Amino acid sequence: MSITVSFSVNGKRHTASFEPAASLLEVLRDRLGYKGPKLCCNTGECGACTILLDDKPVNSCVVLGADAAGAAVTTVEGLANGGELHPIQQAFIDAAAVQCGYCTPGYIISVKALLDRTKTPTPAEIEEAVSGNICRCTGYTKILDAIRLAAERMQQGS
Amino acid sequence: MDYFEPKSVAEALSLLARYGARAKVIAGGTDVMVDIKYKDEPECLINIKRIGGLRYIEEGNGGLRIGPLVTIRELETNRLVRERLPALWESCRQFASLQIRNTATLGGNICRASPSGETLAPLLVLEAKVKLAFAEGEKVEPIESLFLGPGKTSLGFNGLLTEIDVPYPERASRSAYLKHAVRGPMDIAMVGVAVLVTPDANRSAANDVRIGLGAVAPTPVRARAAEALLRGKPLTAAAVQQAARAAASESAPISDQRSSAEYRSWIVEVLTRRGLERTWREATGKEMSG
Repeated sequence: MSITVSFSVNGKRHTASFEPAASLLEVLRDRLGYKGPKLCCNTGECGACTILLDDKPVNSCVVLGADAAGAAVTTVEGLANGGELHPIQQAFIDAAAVQCGYCTPGYIISVKALLDRTKTPTPAEIEEAVSGNICRCTGYTKILDAIRLAAERMQQGS
Repeated sequence: MDYFEPKSVAEALSLLARYGARAKVIAGGTDVMVDIKYKDEPECLINIKRIGGLRYIEEGNGGLRIGPLVTIRELETNRLVRERLPALWESCRQFASLQIRNTATLGGNICRASPSGETLAPLLVLEAKVKLAFAEGEKVEPIESLFLGPGKTSLGFNGLLTEIDVPYPERASRSAYLKHAVRGPMDIAMVGVAVLVTPDANRSAANDVRIGLGAVAPTPVRARAAEALLRGKPLTAAAVQQAARAAASESAPISDQRSSAEYRSWIVEVLTRRGLERTWREATGKEMSG
């Protein structure tokens, strides 16, 4: 049996058919070609598959694809403005917060959700916001630097 | 696999009647999705997320009436939960990651009936009531009687949880949830302890003491012998220590990859003591006397 579901990804409307047990991550990657969210632990623990579902960060590996019906999904592909990277993406590069890069799209989405919630996050809020994202290159210090840098730049820019 | 998105409780119940044990109910999905991938795919998946009217937090019946599809994050960010049901609020704060809290539902955490389910010990000490729907009709029962064993509830294969009623404790009371885990909220609790203390009018003795234990028995449990030791008495350090030991002996933990049974018993004692010290101080403004 397969089901057909319509929703938007980064503002673009999609209709996809898939097995009803498929995760939203599988639908995004394998049906629609959005490879930004990464498949890693596949159990909702590592955060590499983080996307925004109606502006809330979720682990797309443990969300039913069916639950995206009618929703607005944001993946890391939706952040850049044409050729210009989003300030969070640029801050990750400038702070050298990327090593192997596998966790990076999930981090960037978690940080986007954080900075959408508050423009001036406290250190505790920053740590909490990314506590569901694991980096096994152990680049946490630089990741936290990048988040602070992104917050500063976005405050100045706004 | 058959798949359904019922639009009403009645429709969900008729599907459950038809498929029985071959069906799996899914809400947030943070546990069920993992089972589907790594254990068995059910013959039938019943997604209850599209049933209207099961996602609300409202005052009523002298407390909060909570729909089972409310997410952990919605509880965590609710002012009434924070102010009136601190033990529940603290368990939501220590519930996995933000991503999971945005997805996981209170009803799912309850019906999963994991002994370590974060919200369960708090709901036990807050004496929540659950509304259960069956084809034959509706039933309201104390949440304590819902849990029959790991993963087993009195809903069986044909019932649906439709509301959680959490009465407000007395204004003078304080409650807390203490969790012991290696990696903070992301980790499954080795031990979780919820306590509630209601002082008398003079703030000299405890009118009511409730202690709930998570992850140390086949179901979340109340430590009633420990509670009885303190009820009606001043909470002195010696009395609290004795009650904490009683709570540890009322627990029946297992040894697994997270910790040994002996270690879990020690932690029950420590967290019970700390929880009682903290709530007594918060409720009376006084440190505990020797």
